[in-house]
Amino acid sequence: MYVYDSLDKTLLNQRVAEFRDQVKRRLDGDLTEDQFKPLRLMNGLYLQLHAYMLRVAIPYGTLSSDQMRKLAYIAKTYDRGYGHFTTRQNIQFNWIELSTAPDLLYDLSEVDLHAIQTSGNCIRNVTADPYAGAAADELDDPRIWSEVIRQWSTLHPEFSFLPRKFKIAVTGSKADRAAIKFHDIGLKIVRNNEGVLGFAVYVGGGQGRTPIVAPLIKSFLPAQDLLRYLDAVLRVYNRHGRRDNIYKARIKILVDSMGADSFAAEVAAEFDRLDPELLSVRDEDVSRLRDMFAQPFLRPDPDASSSLEDLVKKSPRLGLWFKSNTHPHKTPGYSIVTISLKPIGGIPGDATAEQMFAVADLADRFSLGEIRVTYTQNLILPHVRQADLFVLWQELERLNLATPNVGLASDIIACPGLDYCSLANARSIPISQRISDRFADLNAQHDVGPLDIRISGCINACGHHHAGHIGILGVDKKGEERYQLTLGGQGNGESEVGKIVGPGFDEDGIVDAVETVVSTYLTLRTKGEEFSQTLARTGQGPFKERLYDNR
Amino acid sequence: MTIVNTSGDAVEQGWRTVESVESSGPHHGIIVSPAILQDSFDESDSAALSQVGVRLTVDDDVSEIAAYVPHLGLIELVFAHFKDGRPYSAATTIRRDYKFTHELRASGDVLPDQAIFLIRSGFSSVDVPDQFTAQEFKKSLMAYSVAYQSAYDSHLSLIDELRRSTPDVAAE
Repeated sequence: MYVYDSLDKTLLNQRVAEFRDQVKRRLDGDLTEDQFKPLRLMNGLYLQLHAYMLRVAIPYGTLSSDQMRKLAYIAKTYDRGYGHFTTRQNIQFNWIELSTAPDLLYDLSEVDLHAIQTSGNCIRNVTADPYAGAAADELDDPRIWSEVIRQWSTLHPEFSFLPRKFKIAVTGSKADRAAIKFHDIGLKIVRNNEGVLGFAVYVGGGQGRTPIVAPLIKSFLPAQDLLRYLDAVLRVYNRHGRRDNIYKARIKILVDSMGADSFAAEVAAEFDRLDPELLSVRDEDVSRLRDMFAQPFLRPDPDASSSLEDLVKKSPRLGLWFKSNTHPHKTPGYSIVTISLKPIGGIPGDATAEQMFAVADLADRFSLGEIRVTYTQNLILPHVRQADLFVLWQELERLNLATPNVGLASDIIACPGLDYCSLANARSIPISQRISDRFADLNAQHDVGPLDIRISGCINACGHHHAGHIGILGVDKKGEERYQLTLGGQGNGESEVGKIVGPGFDEDGIVDAVETVVSTYLTLRTKGEEFSQTLARTGQGPFKERLYDNR
Repeated sequence: MTIVNTSGDAVEQGWRTVESVESSGPHHGIIVSPAILQDSFDESDSAALSQVGVRLTVDDDVSEIAAYVPHLGLIELVFAHFKDGRPYSAATTIRRDYKFTHELRASGDVLPDQAIFLIRSGFSSVDVPDQFTAQEFKKSLMAYSVAYQSAYDSHLSLIDELRRSTPDVAAE
């Protein structure tokens, strides 16, 4: 993992001191709320419906066990004993007092964590493939390049007051587990015909009010030119992005209105004007980062899988868990384990302080002290020996963290919604809980197969509803919460925007509607066909019929 | 009105903004709009232009006065709102593409807490808004001694060099 050096630490300490002073000025009345607002937002502190919320950056979704322990301590000390993992691989604490927020940030800084650029119209925390460094299909570790971007974008003098927020995602694998085409910039690590490492660059994707799958702007960017190219993209955006309308201010609107080709041409012209030396990513810097992220040697254990099969026979629930919650590791005899933060009827992404402390200990025992956070609001232990899986599973069961539902109907992505968020039009969490309860039978979920249900409480789409196989959008209709249903989105591997099926539903209706969609699929599917394949084959027609027949 | 320099110290104003220009010069330290600049001055008269500054709003395009830029004594970029960051990129362009080396001033709606971003983007002075003091800008400039990026101001890009030459640290 990346280890902070003295310069990283100095900058972070100075940031904490600066914020402590700003909070003091606010509490002393020297700053008005209007003047204070942009300052606290630059430190991830939002004023929500009931209290201040602090969003902490988890750099490209990677945590050490010590960092996880500190998050648990924060939850216990400054919050009400829990934290909420978000759809951008971050964590939010919902019940923060302004007066103690500087102490909280100081505590975080002791383990190299912070809330810098987790809000505001700046370059936000970079997200990446949560399987980084462990996936078999990986060309290069995206964390190396995410760290390069983190440093370059932190307190960037020119790009901290953009037209709107700016999100960058990186993947190094063939399978896109970071949904890069739904980001302002999506970077896919590739090699060209000469074997040179570089990036395919996608610009102008996003969700929100105008969901767009990012077009390819550059098919091969040599890795050393990464920052020079990002600099050019950001300058073109800062110069020309719209500032008259908050809903048209994201770069996706600029790319869309200019056309991808002219946008790419303008970026190329700006790129050519930049001094290659000044922004070049130097080989020695990359190899230093590469060493930091290199995992210790794992002894291959090719015989492990056979004993595992025996275990599965012994416990059907372990069998289900192994099927849905583990993924092959690049080293034979190891697995990537997903810790489900989606217990049946629970709140997606919430973890108690006790659970976080326990996960940290499990990471130390079983996964080289490493933990990942996924944008689907689960946690990952990336390097687990298959010989340890049975013991790990038992521990996770005890902690209520082993629900065998990853990628299935009750692995629902949901934003905080009207229970917390001041932007929301409708509640997300209770809808998610009711749908989860409706599909409580885990054998049945496994029979239904891969199903991606996503819920947003407003059009800002933090619940990524556009990209769910089944997407739910909460809207306010004359003071009543209503829910729109979309089908056919893809956010895992493929990127597709779902389409609205028809008129919206009330709270009871939407839960029934989801069940109707699933039962319709079960009658339509051919052998081995997944939900999204059936939907692609039949179209929305038969689903619509069943949904609106009896109205 | 108070002008602070890159160290956050208040300095002599030295320039005044005028709305019109008498055709008979010479002029000393006047700041004009791009339209007046083009109407009243010859783009090749470098001696006269060294006593002239131009004031650009976020909607003005510096490329329209490109021929004047290298000779101007001052360029002032007006922030319409502290959240509208276009002047930061304009500053980069003016310094880098137009090789402008004279005073580049930020005015309008800027916050003390943005001082370091302004200076690092290439501004060399700030016209302090009435509700703030020079001391507040100075304090903000002192908040950081390090930065990740190289920037226009040499002071902090030296830090960047420091990181690169320090063996136990990872540079960008």
